[in-house]
Order: sequence, then C-alpha cells, then structure tokens
Amino acid sequence: MNNDQVRYYEPFRGPFDPCPPIGVKSYVVPPNQFVTFQPPNWPQFSPYDALRLGTLWQPLYSPYGSR
Amino acid sequence: MSIQLDEAYYTLLHELQAIDFVLVELTLYLDTHPHDDAALQQFNQFAELRKKVAHHYEANYGPLLQFGRSPSPGSWKWSEPPWPWQV
Repeated sequence: MNNDQVRYYEPFRGPFDPCPPIGVKSYVVPPNQFVTFQPPNWPQFSPYDALRLGTLWQPLYSPYGSR
Repeated sequence: MSIQLDEAYYTLLHELQAIDFVLVELTLYLDTHPHDDAALQQFNQFAELRKKVAHHYEANYGPLLQFGRSPSPGSWKWSEPPWPWQV
C-alpha cells in the first residue's frame, strides 16, 4: 500500500562531497500532525490489533515502515 | 514448583496486555474528552473485563502486582520464577 505519510527529498550534493551519495531520503509525517482536537467516536482497531499497531484509533495509525 | 508456561498462559497474557493497552488509550483520550460518554462507557466495560481476566490469571499463575494489590494464596509466590523477562 503506498504510504502517503512518507515524504521524500534529495539532499544537496556538492562536487567535493567526500561521502558516497545517499540520493533520495525520506521522512514520515504522521496523521496526528493534521489533527488539532480529536473528534469523538473515531473508528477503533480491535484490542489485539491496537496492541500490535500501537494505537487504538484507526485514523492515527502510522506504519513507519523501515526503508 | 514453578508454573507451566503453556499455550493457555500466553494467550491469557496476550489478552491482558491488549486490554491494558486499550485502557491506556482510553484513559489518555478521556483526559482530554471527559464528557465523551461513549468512551467512558467503553472504558468501564474494559475495566470490568480487565478485572476478570486478571483474576483468572492470578488464580492460575500467581500475583500480577505487589503490595497487596494481588492475592498470594498458599505460598509467597512473588519471588519465584518466572520473572517478567523470563516469560
């Protein structure tokens, strides 16, 4: 599933940069950045899923997968 | 005689952990939404459920908490293995 929480950027590379190029880097902007005050009655995960995924509230889930 | 860490033990512990996590999340939610009755009702449901599951666990496998928050019938089980990191 494409993860729209991940954003990408390319660090600037100078001609005399000693380190090997990393190229494109990514960072995660989790959904809670866009929520000011949590509305009531949000959809929830089941208890086991919530424990595994790290949050009870579906809209706040952020996979934060390893690259 | 230490307890048997069998399948039933782990499923019960997993259930307890899931319930505890839901209770943590609902507590944090209710801190900022004290008038949300649906969440409050769910919180009380899970608190009740947690009591049953914890009671079931402690009856079979020993105390969960200390300082009298968990019974320790028969013998002083608190210092017996398995310790939390051995489970």
